[in-house]
Amino acid sequence: MKLLIIEDEQGLRESIEKYFTEAGVLCESCGTLAAAIGKISLYQYDCVLLDIGLPDGEGFALLEYLQANEKSEGVLIISAKNSLDNKIKGLNLGADDYLTKPFHLSELKARIDAIYRRRAFNSSNVLNYDLINIDLLAREVKVNDITIILTRKEYDMLLYFIANKGKVISKNAIAEHLWGEEIDLVDSFDFIYTHIKNIRKKLMEAAHKDYIKAIYGVGYKLL
Amino acid sequence: MKLAAQYNKATLIITLIVLCSTAFVYYGAINYIVNKQLDHDLTEEVEEIADYIKLNQHLPAELDFEGDQTSFIKTDQKIAGMIFYDMPYHKNHGNKTESGRAVKTIVTLKGVNYVAIVAQSKEASENLTQLIICITVLLTAVLLLILALTNRYIFGGLWKPFYHVLAQLKAFNVADSDAISPNTTNIDEFKELNDAVTAMSARVKTDYENLKTFTENASHEMLTPIAVITSKLDTLIQDEKLKAEQFAQINDIYAATNKLSRLNQSLLLLVKIENDLINDTADFNLKNIILEKEHQLQELAQNKGIELIHILEDKEITANKYLIEILINNLFNNAIKHSEANGKLYIRLTTRELIFQNTGESALNGDEIFERFKKGHNSDGTGLGLTIAKNICNQHGYHLSYHFKAPYHTFKITF
Repeated sequence: MKLLIIEDEQGLRESIEKYFTEAGVLCESCGTLAAAIGKISLYQYDCVLLDIGLPDGEGFALLEYLQANEKSEGVLIISAKNSLDNKIKGLNLGADDYLTKPFHLSELKARIDAIYRRRAFNSSNVLNYDLINIDLLAREVKVNDITIILTRKEYDMLLYFIANKGKVISKNAIAEHLWGEEIDLVDSFDFIYTHIKNIRKKLMEAAHKDYIKAIYGVGYKLL
Repeated sequence: MKLAAQYNKATLIITLIVLCSTAFVYYGAINYIVNKQLDHDLTEEVEEIADYIKLNQHLPAELDFEGDQTSFIKTDQKIAGMIFYDMPYHKNHGNKTESGRAVKTIVTLKGVNYVAIVAQSKEASENLTQLIICITVLLTAVLLLILALTNRYIFGGLWKPFYHVLAQLKAFNVADSDAISPNTTNIDEFKELNDAVTAMSARVKTDYENLKTFTENASHEMLTPIAVITSKLDTLIQDEKLKAEQFAQINDIYAATNKLSRLNQSLLLLVKIENDLINDTADFNLKNIILEKEHQLQELAQNKGIELIHILEDKEITANKYLIEILINNLFNNAIKHSEANGKLYIRLTTRELIFQNTGESALNGDEIFERFKKGHNSDGTGLGLTIAKNICNQHGYHLSYHFKAPYHTFKITF
């Protein structure tokens, strides 16, 4: 996958680039609208990560450029403005998804993966990771060819882990992914633990292999 | 008491006093002039009698003559000159009594002194006085009436610009978009008042706008740095060389960052609600929203051993769905968060009200809980959740109230 990151805040841009590069995504990045349009006009990307508030204009201009030039890049908007109007405007201009700052890199990765899957493999709805095989349409999970039954939250969590395979995902990120931002984190942490325990157990029974590793109380990692 | 009424009262009392005293003076003056005139007539009468006696050497007949009643009484008294006095006047030989004026003097006939009394009726002049008094009283009444009416209508009209400005000041809301628009007036004082009020309201509005813009901008500006912190933390935890205690610290930073972010989002939301920026409405069933939220949060409740009991009727509302979801979320989360472990949580929805009831130990301060940043000692929330809930209710014309009756905390929305 080839990703263009358009974000003017250097610290954030670098973190995103590092995270995605380590996950095997080919990344390019820039901090201005002009540079972004320059890159878009020259190269083909699978996905574009677009910050709306750029120093030389609003990111919506890029969406208009993509539409005008019939480009098919998937676009994820990131914005500091959690405004419904912005969201609707962005989605109407052809963006695929909208994420409000601040966000977790794991959430960003999961969203980008989803866009990429929808765009690139629209014929294939199957996700494979090691012995795990997921039919995304049927929401059916097979491990080692054995169908395992997951609850809705466990299923969501598994997908989230696969999108961030090999990365440590913080409990905060998991909680926000599953319950939204309003959730009281302290209460939800025990709960995440229970869910993780169940997933581990179900995967272990089918694959005879421990897929999830706890990292010092800060988070979990899919091995 | 109104200024106009106060002024009216003063004018009326002063007018009444002045007119009454004038009437007395008037009466006195007329009386004086009338008596003077009568005395003059009576003097002439007495002189005529004296002339008659001198000429005819006998007393004139005691006659009613041209309304004059004359009598002569022999006397030894000595009276110097003439004495004028008031006395009853018997018309037609005592049938009718009128007020009269008389003069007493001594006439001498053939060395004998007689007291000559000449009386005249004061009827005619009395009538005149009465007429004058009547006219005066009538005039007074008319004047008072006119004054009262003038004060009432003309001055009432004069005060109109004042009441207009007052009404606008009462209705003034700093968050509303419409400015104060005073009536045009020619009166200097009101012009000044209008100018001052207009300038003041404009200044207040500008200050308020600036404050809101500041809050919004500050919150927005903070979100990007928070995003940087979060992303750096997400990167940091990938480092497997970190020690357990460092991870513990990272956890604390995560929690603080998360709170900061929620605080910011809440402040932004509050500004938006107060600015009425989220105002598109839709028709939907509140019951469905509650059921959805319940589905989302029931695990958290189960985790705490809270027994969730709901009695929900259908309730169609026209409102902003996004805000109503936040409202339900805040109240629901609040109830779970502050419920005792293994407690009970009741949700009741009727067509008239929505009640969240959870078990808890002691009452909260009902006056303070809806204020910004007021929260319980053991709460790690932002302190804005209930403020947001209250504001959403206010915007939709609902009433949100809290009361505690052991062992239940109750939050009630009345539609």
